[in-house]
Amino acid sequence: MLSFQSSKNVLSLTEDLLVRIYELLAAESDRKSFRLVCREFRRIDSLTRRHLRVIRIEFLPILLRKYPRLQSLDLSACPRIDDGVVSLLLTRVGPGSNSPSLGHWAWGLKSLVLSRATGLRFSGLEMLTRACPCLESVDVSYCCGFGDREAAALSSAVGLRELNMDKCLQLTDVGLAKIAVGCSKLEKLSLKWCMEITDLGIDLLCKKCVDLKYLDVSYLKVTNESLHSIASLLKLEVLGLMACPLIDDVGLQFIERGCPSLKVIDVSRCEGVSSSGLIYVVRGHRNLLELNAGYCLSELSTALLHQMKNLNHLEVIRIDGARISETSFQVISANCKSLVEIGLSKCVGVTNMGIMRLVSACINLRVLNLTCCHSITDTAISAIAYSCRSLVCLKLESCNMITEKGLCQLGSFCLLLEEIDLTDCCGVNDKGLEYLSRCSELSCLKLGLCTNISNKGLSYIGSNCLKIHELDLYRCTGIGDDGLEALSNGCKKLRKLNLSYCNAVSDRGLAYIGRLEELSDLEMRALHKITGVGLEAVAVGCKKLADLDMKHCEKVGDSGFWALAYYSKNLRQINLSYCGISDMALCMVMGNLSRLQEAKLVHLSNSTVEGVELALRACCARIKKVKLFAPLRFMLSSEILEILHARGCIIRWD
Amino acid sequence: MDLKERVCGELQKEVPKGASFTKFNTQHQQKWEDPSSTSDYSTRIEPPFQAFNQTSQTQSLLLCNNQIKVPMQDGSVNDLLQASKIQDWDPSAMLNNLSFLGQKIHQLQDLVYLIIGRKGQVLGRPDELLVQQQQLVTADLTSIIVQLISTAGSLLPSVKQTLSAATTSLGQCGEFGGVVFPSSAQGLNDGVQPQNAGGSKVSEPPNSVDITSNNGNEQSNHIIEEHELKDEEDAEEGENLLPGTYEILQLEKEEILAPHTHFCTICGKGFKRDANLRMHMRGHGDEYKTPGALAKPTKESSSEPTIIKRYSCPYAGCKRNKDHKKFQPLKTILCVKNHYKRTHCDKSYICSRCNTKKFSVIADLKTHEKHCGKDKWLCSCGTTFSRKDKLFGHITLFQGHTPAIPSDEIKAAPAGTSDGATNKVGSVNFNLSYVSSESEVQSSSMDIKGGIDDAVGYFSPLSFDTCNFGGFHEFPRPPFDDSESSFAFLLSRSCNYSQKSGEE
Repeated sequence: MLSFQSSKNVLSLTEDLLVRIYELLAAESDRKSFRLVCREFRRIDSLTRRHLRVIRIEFLPILLRKYPRLQSLDLSACPRIDDGVVSLLLTRVGPGSNSPSLGHWAWGLKSLVLSRATGLRFSGLEMLTRACPCLESVDVSYCCGFGDREAAALSSAVGLRELNMDKCLQLTDVGLAKIAVGCSKLEKLSLKWCMEITDLGIDLLCKKCVDLKYLDVSYLKVTNESLHSIASLLKLEVLGLMACPLIDDVGLQFIERGCPSLKVIDVSRCEGVSSSGLIYVVRGHRNLLELNAGYCLSELSTALLHQMKNLNHLEVIRIDGARISETSFQVISANCKSLVEIGLSKCVGVTNMGIMRLVSACINLRVLNLTCCHSITDTAISAIAYSCRSLVCLKLESCNMITEKGLCQLGSFCLLLEEIDLTDCCGVNDKGLEYLSRCSELSCLKLGLCTNISNKGLSYIGSNCLKIHELDLYRCTGIGDDGLEALSNGCKKLRKLNLSYCNAVSDRGLAYIGRLEELSDLEMRALHKITGVGLEAVAVGCKKLADLDMKHCEKVGDSGFWALAYYSKNLRQINLSYCGISDMALCMVMGNLSRLQEAKLVHLSNSTVEGVELALRACCARIKKVKLFAPLRFMLSSEILEILHARGCIIRWD
Repeated sequence: MDLKERVCGELQKEVPKGASFTKFNTQHQQKWEDPSSTSDYSTRIEPPFQAFNQTSQTQSLLLCNNQIKVPMQDGSVNDLLQASKIQDWDPSAMLNNLSFLGQKIHQLQDLVYLIIGRKGQVLGRPDELLVQQQQLVTADLTSIIVQLISTAGSLLPSVKQTLSAATTSLGQCGEFGGVVFPSSAQGLNDGVQPQNAGGSKVSEPPNSVDITSNNGNEQSNHIIEEHELKDEEDAEEGENLLPGTYEILQLEKEEILAPHTHFCTICGKGFKRDANLRMHMRGHGDEYKTPGALAKPTKESSSEPTIIKRYSCPYAGCKRNKDHKKFQPLKTILCVKNHYKRTHCDKSYICSRCNTKKFSVIADLKTHEKHCGKDKWLCSCGTTFSRKDKLFGHITLFQGHTPAIPSDEIKAAPAGTSDGATNKVGSVNFNLSYVSSESEVQSSSMDIKGGIDDAVGYFSPLSFDTCNFGGFHEFPRPPFDDSESSFAFLLSRSCNYSQKSGEE
């Protein structure tokens, strides 16, 4: 009876209820458990799944067949995406071979992430956009070889609303015009680092895509003319102008009179912009939510402050690098009461008194960046902790005067704290970490260059902050194997760990690291004690390891690399510079790791030119970026260099 | 007109209380009819006509006339008027203008007196001198009217503001005018009189005066409107000659298309330019070598007012044809020639570089050839531009047009590195790569060959064409036109194949 009931409980759930339950599962691991329950659950999973991020290309056809209702496909982590693969996927992958619904998976696809798909060219891209009639969002960022032809291919996706073309270096105005004319429904467009774009292209874009809500032209050599065109965009809400060297205050005057919906503007690092330009912007847009003016102001002038009084809705302000007075803090806190984030990185004139005035009214602050504000002490931290109870992120890099007293206040009041950066705060010690460990929500902790902490301090973190997923212990020379043991016992969710220059760490420590199953990102430069045994432990244990930096780990022998080549199938980036890897091991690592996309192979003392050549040949189909010793440029065969170049691989000569 | 009407309206408001207005009116009427009834035979029909005029036209118009005349005649009134204006304009310039006009009118008056004095002697006899004088009088009157209007026109922007201020003075002015009026009417009538006497053929001579004055009114209307509406139109449109103010010439088609317009009277050789003809004439004798003969013939007509000449296109229905509803005249003979050739003739000059652009005027071809091939900015519609911003302006303007991407890279990509600019090289490369890629699948390639065989059958009548096509391709063509070149490739392949099969 009982078994009947229980079975009834599971089986009587109708399909739609199961779908509801499935949709409530947020974490990927939970979904994995769900689909492993039984066939029915697996069927629900395959019917309901909307998003797929593919890591290994070899499973892509099966996955596409399995999930017919995909809306979003992320191929950015996938090496070897090229025109041939795309054509195969579109012609061979379907419910049955030769059925008319070949390429059916693409019909419902709305979002496609092809970031860093450097092997892809316009013909493949065109096939994809033709095959996906519902495409609304495409990300081709960091496809450095992309240019006008690829843009023309993309422009056939007429329903496109979001497009990210960051660092498509060959893109010119012609390609942009193609997109502007073809995809007139575009709402979000990012053109960062598309250095060939000029005012003409931006002008055309603004005339053709009038629905644009988000436009990022950061780092472009556009002038005020472009701002004149941009000002005509009635729906524009977010405008990124970061580091545009040719725009100045005159251009911002256009923005004052235009862009009636503007909510967010970023003019950071714009050399030509001064506070008078910002006055125009602020005067024209009273409803501004976010203002990023980092490194373009020398001083927060009183005139600008006077205008900022009217920004009652302002939530985020960043004025990194500006000189600021205590009275300015008073004005900001009195008027911008809804502030959620303040960036004061490297600001001159940030004092305890200023911070106290600021936080007295801005009690909703969640993010506070005080990087390099050297003169603040525990007094300011106490005031912050006392006022801003909902603080989530606090950056205190190089605030040398902070001691355990400040951390004690934080640990007492800011219980929601998730991220704290204490890099180079030499006042932090084990006692301080003990106080800080009371913030049980902590997920990101940066303790680089904190030489006063030891294994004891780390053990507090390991036992209390169970949610930590990023930990930076760069040059924490006091940390040894015991600290790592405590860490590996508690912080099971650790994904990113930096152990560089922690000289005391040995193979035993790495064995503890190997227990961290979630670890994907490990930096362990210059650990002179570790050998192949330690590396093997990491390779075996950390199944998800994707990024490994072991520069200057000279004692690691081939056994470690063999293990790496054998176990770390998910490795995407590796830095083997100054390692004693042999030719054979190098070939194994480079050839066997089928997901490897980026490798730094400088000063390999035990390997020869032939070894490097062979290793490159073994991985040339999927490698996207490689750093090589400069003299090799003339020693490697021109053939392999040409192949790499043709595949879109970027070679950096060092 | 609206200025005058307003002024008149104001006047009427001001004046009615006084009986002087009506008195003045009747007085005027009497004065007007007086000479006409007494004077001559040809104006028997005149009185009713005049009456008609009087009754049908509003009194305001008459008043208007009256009021216009006043400032012309009396400086004191001028001053009055001037005093009421604001400082928008230059009063001294205005004074100069008016005094000049006054002088002119006095001169005219004297002339008319003179004519009257002589009238008795020459009455009833069409005298040439009289006709000349009459023309002179009309011309002078016209110029006075024109100058007056232009003087008034300079006031226009400030009139509206000063109107209220002006009314009071105009009130006085009206009475004043009443006093002065008779003489002016006299003058006018006197002016009319000789015309009647001289031009006996004219059926309603006094009316002609009326007409001219009406004309003047119309003109002034027109000009005022122009001032108001298109003050800042560009100069070319600003010419806007009134119909009838210029002489329309229409050359015949043969005349337009004739290569030469100047012919040597001795040997008959034709020349495009008169200067060239004069140079040529030197060879026919020493008498043509004198500075007088070589000098550019000056127009002797400088004494009489030069009539503006405009040209009409002989092509019926053309906008440049004088019968067209919205006729727009051409300015010079050269304009006529170029216009006729461009719009109504075949385009016989073909650009030797692109072989597509055709022109009917050789100068146009030369201009094009200067830039042909430099247009590297191509639109999807096929239009080329020499400048990127022009292309982008074009794309902004037209829905759906996009810039075209040169397709040479497409061919370079599969074929490896090919610097060959000509299409032939490109197609060869493509051919090779095509074969190599297909060689793996033997059966399918066989299929394709079979297909080509069929295609040869289809294309066999075209084989000659394809050969031609290949030859044509040796021209360095602009590397665009993707579809066409691939088509060419297909054809050339089939051509090769057919040749082979022919050998077999």
